[in-house]
Amino acid sequence: MSSAGEPSISVLGTSALLFEAPGHTMTLPDQQRIWALAREAGRWPDVREAVPGMNNLMLSFVRAPRALAELRARLLAAWAVAQPLPLEGRVIELPVVYGGDGGPHMADVVAHTGLSIDQIVEIHSAPAYPVYALGSHPGYCYLGGMDARIATPRRKVPVVSIPGGAVSIGGAQTGVSASTGPSGWNTIGRTAMRFFDSTQDPPALLQPGDTLRFRVQKVIR
Amino acid sequence: MIELLSASALATVQDLGRLGALRWGVGTSGAMDPLALAAGNLLLGNEAGAAAIEVPVFPFQVRFTDGGAFALTGADCAARLDDVPLLPWWVGEARAGQVLTLALPRAGAWRASRAYLCLPGGVDVPAVLGSRSTQLRGDFGGHEGRTLRQGDVLRAGAAESSSMPVGGFGLVPPALALPLQVDGVPAMRVLPAAEYMHYTETSRAAFWAGEWKITSQSDRYGYRLAGTKLEASTSVEMRSHGIVPGVIQVPPGGQPIVQMRDAQPSGGYPKLGTVIEADLWRLGQAPIGSRVRFIETTWDEAVAALDQMQAWLANVQRLVGLYRRQQARS
Amino acid sequence: MLIDSLQQLATSLADAGIGLLELRGPGVLLRLGRDAADVAAGVEPSVSTPGPSRPTPSSGTTVTAPAAGVFLHTHPMQSNPLAPVGAPVRAGAPIGLLQIGALLLPVTAPRAAVVAGLLVAHGATVGYGTALVELAPD
Repeated sequence: MSSAGEPSISVLGTSALLFEAPGHTMTLPDQQRIWALAREAGRWPDVREAVPGMNNLMLSFVRAPRALAELRARLLAAWAVAQPLPLEGRVIELPVVYGGDGGPHMADVVAHTGLSIDQIVEIHSAPAYPVYALGSHPGYCYLGGMDARIATPRRKVPVVSIPGGAVSIGGAQTGVSASTGPSGWNTIGRTAMRFFDSTQDPPALLQPGDTLRFRVQKVIR
Repeated sequence: MIELLSASALATVQDLGRLGALRWGVGTSGAMDPLALAAGNLLLGNEAGAAAIEVPVFPFQVRFTDGGAFALTGADCAARLDDVPLLPWWVGEARAGQVLTLALPRAGAWRASRAYLCLPGGVDVPAVLGSRSTQLRGDFGGHEGRTLRQGDVLRAGAAESSSMPVGGFGLVPPALALPLQVDGVPAMRVLPAAEYMHYTETSRAAFWAGEWKITSQSDRYGYRLAGTKLEASTSVEMRSHGIVPGVIQVPPGGQPIVQMRDAQPSGGYPKLGTVIEADLWRLGQAPIGSRVRFIETTWDEAVAALDQMQAWLANVQRLVGLYRRQQARS
Repeated sequence: MLIDSLQQLATSLADAGIGLLELRGPGVLLRLGRDAADVAAGVEPSVSTPGPSRPTPSSGTTVTAPAAGVFLHTHPMQSNPLAPVGAPVRAGAPIGLLQIGALLLPVTAPRAAVVAGLLVAHGATVGYGTALVELAPD
């Protein structure tokens, strides 16, 4: 975790290094700088992948670097000069059925925010969401730009199985599950889009820099 | 070629993991005990990273529809080929029609929970995104992207090129050759992670000093540990970030969860530390209900531990090669 | 090529911590050791039984070490002896193990028999041909 002003660099065992942009927010300009940093660091020896997260970057290692201090210094220097990469990807639109059986936690978001289902749907479906990063499971996109009014904390007890296509809110973020699995987020709706195909190259439908829009197909109250 | 006779095996085809796909949200998967998988392959003369079958549930039974060599490493499962007992960490030969049975792992000098069955040339399944490991969430890789079930037939990747020395041969397992224990309890080295200092001094001390029980809610996704409740002195909603197997997260309940091979490649819980890559096999083999200890380590020590693990494998490869060539000539 | 193989073998043995290796074949003995006095190669005069066992006067069988190494009564992971005295053993069954570094080689029963005696202590270093186990007829 970083204090205001200073990026934080920490290790994940000997397998990877985690760089976090300063602050606790998830701004688009910072994310665009993370993309630039990823592009640069991804070329360094010892780095297998530079994987963006939400205003942070994980460098997975081909082999554990002997001189960690040098890598830290290089990363800080690269961050200092990183210019935001422009948002130049595709815009993908997802039809969503909000509420009902596909949105089992809509009531929890209503209870936490004090907003009605219709207000939540309107606020959630309004923005164009930049794809900040991929992670969590194959094809899953972390999106930026969710309105803080509908932010709802992650669930204390994660749900064991949420289907692919589940549209959820976790803290100040929103995302769509790409396959069945456990989730600690609050699921408010469902979409039928396919986000990952292991036989394709690249196998993921979306990548950082693309934009996602949610289109209201139906609202079940 | 082998046919699975057991039901509910929960066994999967794994290799040393799927690397280079984090950018698409694909975690590594791979063997919970990569050292055992690699050693079994080396006994057969395979590449260390060839695909094998990871067996977590017993009894487990397969029939050799074709005869051939095979290696069995990991837990000592009182294995039998038909009615003939086999030694653990051993490579031998089966005739067509023989049945290999693995029973519940024995206590013995090393309590382990998973066995690895290796075949000549590796288990022949297609590589997906560069690996033959099974990606259960997303249903791809390994054998049809799923756990094995009764009736499944798996092929060996190669016919054997040289004959197996009569009576087979084996290895002293790394649990005995590279022991790591604290007060008689298996231990793993841990590097502190970003939120380490968020925990109270009492909690941090308790983490290193305590015994942690592997609860029954533990599997390839993560090991839920039971022990002292760990308390943070600060609490922040974290931003989602990349993680790797070995990361020790502490959810609000205060009981740590160690992310294992099938864990999500990213997460949002605070991290106390990470079990080092060189010791993940030790944890991957710790049985449910057993206890483990954690040892605070440094970057240099952790890298040295990786070197030691690589050196053990290189030594095994050299000795096995020497012995097989010598036996082939005599 | 033989000299390259020997050098490679010597290096590997040194790596594995082995001080002496004896290889025996029909009419040939090769001895490779770290001490100059141990190095010898030549034709073995009357080699009567080049195999890993020899008959004992009482018509039992003495199983000898197939290589130099550390003789083990039990597998390192287990506590039960592979060949308890009095136990029947199948042909081909391991009645002991020979540890050479990380490797474990089987000492196998040449035929179905009963274990009559263990001649070497668990953990003792033995040379090629050392008598290890006495087997009585089944």
